[in-house]
Amino acid sequence: MLEPVNISLESLNLSTLTPMLIPIIGALVILCIDLIKGGLNKSLYVMLSLLFLLMDFGSLVDFAQLFSENGTMMGFFDVMLIDGLAIIGQLIIVVSSMLFIPLSLTSKRFHEYSYPEFYALFLFMIAGFQFMVATDNLILIFVGLELASLALYTLIALHNRNKSFEAAIKYFTMGALAAGFFSFGAMILYALTGSIEINQISAVLAADEYSNIGFVLVAVTFLLASFGFKLSLIPFHAWTPDVYEGSSAALAGYMSVVPKIAAFVVAMRLFEFLVHSNVVWLETILYVLVVLTMTLANIWALVQSDVKRMLAYSSISHAGFVMAAILIGTTQANSALFLYWVLFAFSNLGAFAMLWVNRQKVLVAGQDSDHPFEKFAGLVRTMPTAAAIMGLFMLSLAGLPPFGVFWGKMYMIASAVSGGYTVLALIMALNSAIAAYYYLKLIVFMFMKEPVYDTDKAIHMVNASMPLKSIIGFATVFTIFSVLFVSPLMEFITALVYNSGY
Amino acid sequence: MDSILTILIFFPAVAGVLGFVVHKDSIRAYGISVAAIEFALSLVLWMGYDPNVSGMQFMESIPLIPEFGISYLLGVDGISLFIIVMASFFTMIGIATLGETKRIKDMIITLLFLQMTMIGVFASLDAILFYVFWELSLVPMLYIIGAWGGPLRIYASVKFFLYTFTGSLVMLVGMLFMAYFYQQATGVWSFSLLEWYRLILPENYQLWLFAAFFFGFAIKVPMFPFHTWLPYAHGQAPTIGSVLLAAVLLKMGTYAFVRFSLPLFPDASVFFMMPIAVLAIIMIIYTAMVAYAQEDLKQVIAYSSVSHMGVIILGTFALNVEGIAGSVFLMIGHGIVSGALFYLVGVIYDRRHTKMMREFGGLASVMPRYATIFGIMVMASVGLPLTINFVGEFLSLLGFYKQSHIMTLLAGIAIIVGAIYMLAAYKKVFFGEVTKEENKKLPDVNKREMFALIPLTVIALWLGIYPKPILEPISNSTESIVQLMHDKAITQEAKERIPNLVDEMSISRTSTQEAH
Repeated sequence: MLEPVNISLESLNLSTLTPMLIPIIGALVILCIDLIKGGLNKSLYVMLSLLFLLMDFGSLVDFAQLFSENGTMMGFFDVMLIDGLAIIGQLIIVVSSMLFIPLSLTSKRFHEYSYPEFYALFLFMIAGFQFMVATDNLILIFVGLELASLALYTLIALHNRNKSFEAAIKYFTMGALAAGFFSFGAMILYALTGSIEINQISAVLAADEYSNIGFVLVAVTFLLASFGFKLSLIPFHAWTPDVYEGSSAALAGYMSVVPKIAAFVVAMRLFEFLVHSNVVWLETILYVLVVLTMTLANIWALVQSDVKRMLAYSSISHAGFVMAAILIGTTQANSALFLYWVLFAFSNLGAFAMLWVNRQKVLVAGQDSDHPFEKFAGLVRTMPTAAAIMGLFMLSLAGLPPFGVFWGKMYMIASAVSGGYTVLALIMALNSAIAAYYYLKLIVFMFMKEPVYDTDKAIHMVNASMPLKSIIGFATVFTIFSVLFVSPLMEFITALVYNSGY
Repeated sequence: MDSILTILIFFPAVAGVLGFVVHKDSIRAYGISVAAIEFALSLVLWMGYDPNVSGMQFMESIPLIPEFGISYLLGVDGISLFIIVMASFFTMIGIATLGETKRIKDMIITLLFLQMTMIGVFASLDAILFYVFWELSLVPMLYIIGAWGGPLRIYASVKFFLYTFTGSLVMLVGMLFMAYFYQQATGVWSFSLLEWYRLILPENYQLWLFAAFFFGFAIKVPMFPFHTWLPYAHGQAPTIGSVLLAAVLLKMGTYAFVRFSLPLFPDASVFFMMPIAVLAIIMIIYTAMVAYAQEDLKQVIAYSSVSHMGVIILGTFALNVEGIAGSVFLMIGHGIVSGALFYLVGVIYDRRHTKMMREFGGLASVMPRYATIFGIMVMASVGLPLTINFVGEFLSLLGFYKQSHIMTLLAGIAIIVGAIYMLAAYKKVFFGEVTKEENKKLPDVNKREMFALIPLTVIALWLGIYPKPILEPISNSTESIVQLMHDKAITQEAKERIPNLVDEMSISRTSTQEAH
């Protein structure tokens, strides 16, 4: 006779699941509404999603307060782990999602937004990312990753153009491969240590002093490859520009921010102890990866003829830049990572949202992609404000002070300096200089060239509706006045990161 | 009066934002009024400045990111005061005399933003704040060159931007290192320049940091061999762009040497004194020779401007009161003179739409007033006694003479070369017969142009004859920098090279007096 399993509900600490359950319930509610009465307007679904995300946000703020009093929380058979990283990670995910979802309220009709499934999938995806960051358990990380990725593949394909299908398939294939790598790496670690919890794994590995260094190295390589795909580090980046090109600009902007922060949090949990162990050559491998990612992506971005592809390469480069934090591994660096990503999220969402409002449904003669540089030529004549805002986002991404991303760059380089990585700091600085060129290219087109396309029809700001303009306005204000937010943000982030021991 | 620096910095920016609303027919009047108010404010600053105090005045401090030691810290001393006044003066006459310009509204708003950044750079005492304005100043200039420039304008503007941006990023790494060392020494982060002044660094740290800052500053000056962006920028920029670039923006580099490199790294300054002096002399001689070979009048002035920047660098790295005060004075003088010369080229370009010297000749008989003013400015540029540049050049060279006789001799010869190419250019354009038909009926300078040229001429002569009102506050502030450097210096050589003013204060006072 097996003994009945006897676990008190109390010890499950089910409240740790609330932040993930809220979007899941939201998704189910949206599906149910569609079952009862179909054909409702998309604005309903957008607002519902927004409400659920707001609730999610509220529960996270609640956790942030709890965390500052009680410290780390475990729950649900100890697979859930709510620590500072989990809270910041989820906050960034939820806030970016709240900024993204109103972008579907375009004035032109894009049919994917009229399906309630779009919003349900979107909320499922958020829950997946939240699971990913709020656990120490390799299996739950895997489940969260797959939940989020499968939803994301479908969202891309819903855009319903040939390029989108291509993008979705490409992303799916690469994602499947990455998932394979991940499970393989996790398997080896389990075989070595008999545990799938990262802190257990690190404790066991440290206890026998990394005697199976060969196996550890294989496992780390597999895991690194898997997250390399998710974070689009070079040489695992090849899918990124194509996928961004195939998906709508709004979704591309979202993909450049949210999945990556989830992956960064997991990478921080996984690799930090290995970098500090000094036994595994991870430090060297990461160093090479970081430098290659920053530099090569910048060089490829120089030669792009489409703004969206250029931004895709730029986001690869930014990811490489931020990955340096995991290499440096001090609290200062890890805090800088989150600060950078928050500031980057606003500028990048702003930039992609600007592309999105400029997306026309029918291409004009001579235009061979959605957003070639030529399309923006002479924009300052017809729409000075739009040109100025787009220019602002470009300058911010280039790291020009005092706009958003500069402060992230400054903190990141400062942490490299105080972490003893002098050469890396210089490489980071010089890469920012290379990057400035391709951001300038768009500014040159907008402000200094004559319009190229000869057409009577409006091709700029055709999608601009009030919600989109508000989002862009919000991003603009945040980008310009970011210096005022840096100090409180940094204080909040540092406290959370420090208290969770990173 | 307490927050006059903040007002000076942000008044043009706020006015620029509001300027978007002003109708484009009235924007010129709006721009002139704003710039005139700004200039008046800068005069108020000058009036309120106490010339007997050598330290910072009108200080303002608001913490921005306290845990990282970044604050909004402003202040002026004798070194920055006059550059600020000059910047607002040039913006005013620049806007007032703006010729026929397409999209004039964009131009004036851009100029107002540029003015904010220019004044911000010279008023900031926090390294990050300084960096913010330093970098921001690139954007309006990029737009001015790129949108209103000549045929190669896009290449020129992007080259200008990237060159400076790259140098500045290396400088940023240097600043972060400096703050890190400060944090290591004291336990708190700080980017305040005044706090940094108190930190004495080991010599090898100083050398590396000096090099990092040097990249940023040298590209901005621009020093040989980083000068290649400047002829393009000048060649393609519209008149107003060249005027502001030569008069104010280049001064950021030389000013930063005085403000950052010297007092922060006195030993490194002594260590690098001779190499930099060699670069400066190459810069003076080489660009003078290049200037002689130019056929484009604007390029002659562009290269002569680089050449004179070499004298400023030489004076700065004399590391004594005469040299530094002379070089700061020469910054003002160079600003006035080369700004005026670029403006004069703009005057003739507006009439003939060419800058080639072979297209002219004999203009003295057609445009006598123009020729007179141009002549005075050429004389000032070559450093004729009783003109503004003579004072600065003489003091700079006198200062460096104390460090090295041979180097100073070489630099002195270079100034003679300067006289040759400027006079040759003047001869080609103004003397001889009027050979071209188009030149016979050129109108002389009109009232609007006079509005810019008369004050510049008056200043160039007045400060040449009686430089004391400006030179005295400059040397007061310079003395405190030199004394600080002497006190901070670690190596024996640096102690010897940098004079100790506590003993010889009286001597150096008299020697500056003699120089007048």
